[in-house]
Amino acid sequence: MAAVAPVAMHRALAAEEAARADFYALLARLLGSAPDGALLQMIAHAGPLAGHSELALAWRTLVDASSAMDENAAGDEYQALFGGLGKSPVSIYAGHYSGAVAVGHPRIRVQRDLEALGLAHRSTTQPEDHIAALFDAMRVLAAGGAGRGPAKLEEQRRFFDAHVKPAAGKFFATLAGAKEANYYRRVAALGAAFLAIEVESFQLD
Amino acid sequence: MKTTKSTDRRNFLLAAGLGGAGVAAAVVTGRKPASKPKEEAVAASKEAKYRESEHIRKYYETTKV
Repeated sequence: MAAVAPVAMHRALAAEEAARADFYALLARLLGSAPDGALLQMIAHAGPLAGHSELALAWRTLVDASSAMDENAAGDEYQALFGGLGKSPVSIYAGHYSGAVAVGHPRIRVQRDLEALGLAHRSTTQPEDHIAALFDAMRVLAAGGAGRGPAKLEEQRRFFDAHVKPAAGKFFATLAGAKEANYYRRVAALGAAFLAIEVESFQLD
Repeated sequence: MKTTKSTDRRNFLLAAGLGGAGVAAAVVTGRKPASKPKEEAVAASKEAKYRESEHIRKYYETTKV
């Protein structure tokens, strides 16, 4: 106990917490829009994750898929999956999965909780409950950014439990099962593996 | 108590493949994974804490929270 510093304002982020933020960032990027050629190349040339976890396997599969994918095909697939208004095979909005309840649309609740965490959603094209926006919020909470430091784990868990967990699992399952999905089936597998880790790790703390 | 729990969390995350090499970090930040992560972690100023490669940054410009 005595050896533990009570407060460390600018403590370096632990590697595993930084890695969480990186996965949130990458998933947010891939779900926000189709990867361009440069991003595909970077993923294709990324090294393997240590171990044989679901995440490590999913990562390797995505790495392999990225080397075989080109940006035009990725763009077409993204459009086919998520494009269109109200008619897309896979909804990319959390509200679709968590259900809009009487208390307020999930979008409104996300907005309120973001504000409480000192974050303002600045996109005019992506509603707050866009899965990419939620993952990006988790990135900022995990690593800091947008003018704030990392959030306490308790705060991270609260946001995760309220907004990410009720929707993301169903979203990735839907994405993985969509007949239009090819590259994005691999993204879904990575997302699901990562999400499972998040769910379990938040229970540990 | 708290120490044990956060140790559990840490060990779990590491065992799950997070941390260590920072593979996704290489994609996100546009850096090679093994480029002295320790020094960077220690020297983590506000700027160094989170860097974004060009395409990730472009994305954030449109989707900042």
